[in-house]
Amino acid sequence: MGLTSDLNVSVQSLLASTTAMDVTTTNMANMNTPGYARRRVILEESTPSGSGQSSTGVDVKTIQSLRDSVLDLSINANNSQQSLNTTISTALSAVQVVFSDTASGSIGSTMDSFFSSLQQLSTSPTSGSLRSNVLTAAGNVASAFQSTAAVVTQAQQQADQSVVQSTSQANSLLQQIAATNAQITTAQNTGQSSNSDQDQLSSLLSQLSSIMDYQTVNSSDGLTLTTANGAPLVVGGKAYALTNQVNASGYNDVYAGGTDVTATIQGGNLGGYLQTRDQTLSTLSSQLDQFAFQFATAVNNVQTAGSDANGNTGAALFNPPDTTSGTATGAASSIAVALTDGSQIAAAATGAATGDSSNLTNMLNLQNQTIINGNTPDDAFSNLTFDIGNTISQATSSATATGNILTQLTNQQGSIEGVSLDEESSNLVLYQRSYEAAAKIISTVDTLMGNILDMGAVNPGY
Amino acid sequence: MRVNPNYSNDMVNLMDQAQQAEDNAAQQLSTGRRVNLPSDDPAAEAAMIGENSRSASVDQYTANSDSLKDVLNTANSTLNSVVTALQRAVSLGTEGANGTMNQTDLDSIAQEVSNIKSQMLSLANTSYAGQYLFGGTSNTGAPYVTDTADPTQVDYVGNSQQNKVQIGTGLSVASNLPGSSIFSQSGANVFDALQSLVSALQSGDSAAIGTAGTSVSNALSAVDTAQVFYGTTVNELTSNETYLSQEKVNIATYQNTLVSADTATAATQMTQAETALNATLAAAAKVSQVSLLDYLK
Repeated sequence: MGLTSDLNVSVQSLLASTTAMDVTTTNMANMNTPGYARRRVILEESTPSGSGQSSTGVDVKTIQSLRDSVLDLSINANNSQQSLNTTISTALSAVQVVFSDTASGSIGSTMDSFFSSLQQLSTSPTSGSLRSNVLTAAGNVASAFQSTAAVVTQAQQQADQSVVQSTSQANSLLQQIAATNAQITTAQNTGQSSNSDQDQLSSLLSQLSSIMDYQTVNSSDGLTLTTANGAPLVVGGKAYALTNQVNASGYNDVYAGGTDVTATIQGGNLGGYLQTRDQTLSTLSSQLDQFAFQFATAVNNVQTAGSDANGNTGAALFNPPDTTSGTATGAASSIAVALTDGSQIAAAATGAATGDSSNLTNMLNLQNQTIINGNTPDDAFSNLTFDIGNTISQATSSATATGNILTQLTNQQGSIEGVSLDEESSNLVLYQRSYEAAAKIISTVDTLMGNILDMGAVNPGY
Repeated sequence: MRVNPNYSNDMVNLMDQAQQAEDNAAQQLSTGRRVNLPSDDPAAEAAMIGENSRSASVDQYTANSDSLKDVLNTANSTLNSVVTALQRAVSLGTEGANGTMNQTDLDSIAQEVSNIKSQMLSLANTSYAGQYLFGGTSNTGAPYVTDTADPTQVDYVGNSQQNKVQIGTGLSVASNLPGSSIFSQSGANVFDALQSLVSALQSGDSAAIGTAGTSVSNALSAVDTAQVFYGTTVNELTSNETYLSQEKVNIATYQNTLVSADTATAATQMTQAETALNATLAAAAKVSQVSLLDYLK
């Protein structure tokens, strides 16, 4: 029985070596495939087929994927954060330009020019050309508010378009995840290897993480994916698509299965666009409206308390605001100069001679009065500059910090999951040798068997 | 411990960082500014907004001072002519009062004084850049007009108001002196005094000529006293301009510390970044040259 069983053992060994070399080949081929975790073949000594059998062969127990799923989760979570912050910083970068101190025609610089023109008028209150200059400067302030508001609105609309795009990208990924999930479950139920499906799932989850944050739960029918507040995204083989619904402000909210999840998406570029659109820019937009409204109201109040070059009571310099409604909404985008002639500027106090400039002094004093929500006009603008600059700066440094963590984690992941060409080459040599050894045994057994058969030959001379 | 066999990620990261640092330094060197956008240094940018506004104010205060000085100097030189003319009237009065002249001579002196009075009217109605210098804040017409009922009388139709011009934060000066405080002060009215001298000279009454001469002299010293306002204000403006130019330098210096790039530091950073980038590139090129496969047959 010895030689036959040796032959069997050798055949088993040949097969095991072939499988091991297959795994090595797969590893080498996929060394750059996203989501791929290196595999290794787990060999075990086979159970002897009968009692007293002295030689036992080798079995391929399993092909193991060296995947650290906890590490993968952590990488995806960080990836979401980085993507969020990078998106915020990119989406706002166009907006911050109009708040820069070097921006010509910014709200701050045009307000400075407006007050300068009033100062100039105070040196010669009856000068027609200086009065026209004031109106021009006021017009520039109004244009600065309008163009700044337009930049903010445009950035909001761009973010909104990106929300729709990201939603559809997320949906496509969710469907693929659900399909892969179903394949994994089927493979597991039929006892087949799900390694390649797992690799694909890992790659899909990583892609999804740059679009949005999510939570995962492993259950009997595979992976369950939900949003942060538990709205289902993928359950087993079924994907629940995200939908967009236009809200009262005209922007697209994100719904998961009928639930509004707009505010709960706080990662990935989708989260970044939502945060930019609904928080940073929305706040900025209403601050600009308040600013324009209160500035115009303050100037108008001084203007209507004085008397113009024709001896008439001053008319409002800016319109709107509609002081009766008292609402600031839309003020920044609609502010305009209401006066048509420089003579209508109320430089004089009511009842004073037309060459009087004491009401002009009141208007000049506005520059140092806290007329914008407890701030001077200049401070109000400089606060806006700080806020937008700080938001971007924080997002950028968070992205950098998360980037550093990601590098660490990715290195860690690589040290576990990454394919090393040197290692695979050395394995290849190893399995080649073991294949050669098995083949050698087979040829040895063959020779031995030939010898035995020769012993019983009738005509050894053949 | 197993190391990450895929170092390209690390390498790319390092190259990115070095390149970013190099870009950053290059931008600082080319723009001369460390802070180009609010996100570069939000606090410095916010402070810059305030400083820009302060700087604009200082510029405007300086411009205000300049144009005000022009106006005040014009008024001052007008008053110099007024004083010279009045001094002539005073000496004419003294001449007429000594009693040695005949009526013909007195009449011709009266004519000269009358001319001085006309000259005075024109001087008191001097305007600069469309504004009457001595009409208070009223600018509806010439401040001094001949009385329609009595052509020998000159009436003041301006007001006694002063305008203020800001020449610093919370600092302002009066930009005009109304005629009522110069030519037509109560008890020292230039036109009344000159008219009384004309009348006295025409009447030939030495005592009356003496009295009228004294009134002209009083009016002269009243104008003299009023003129001090212009000198004082111009002096104040000049010294304030010196302060403003110093302030401008201070603001510029502060702005520099806020946003300007330190060229030496930026240049050093640039060199460092470049060295780091070169080293990373060289390492990346070297490290991927060999693998075990090269040694296997």
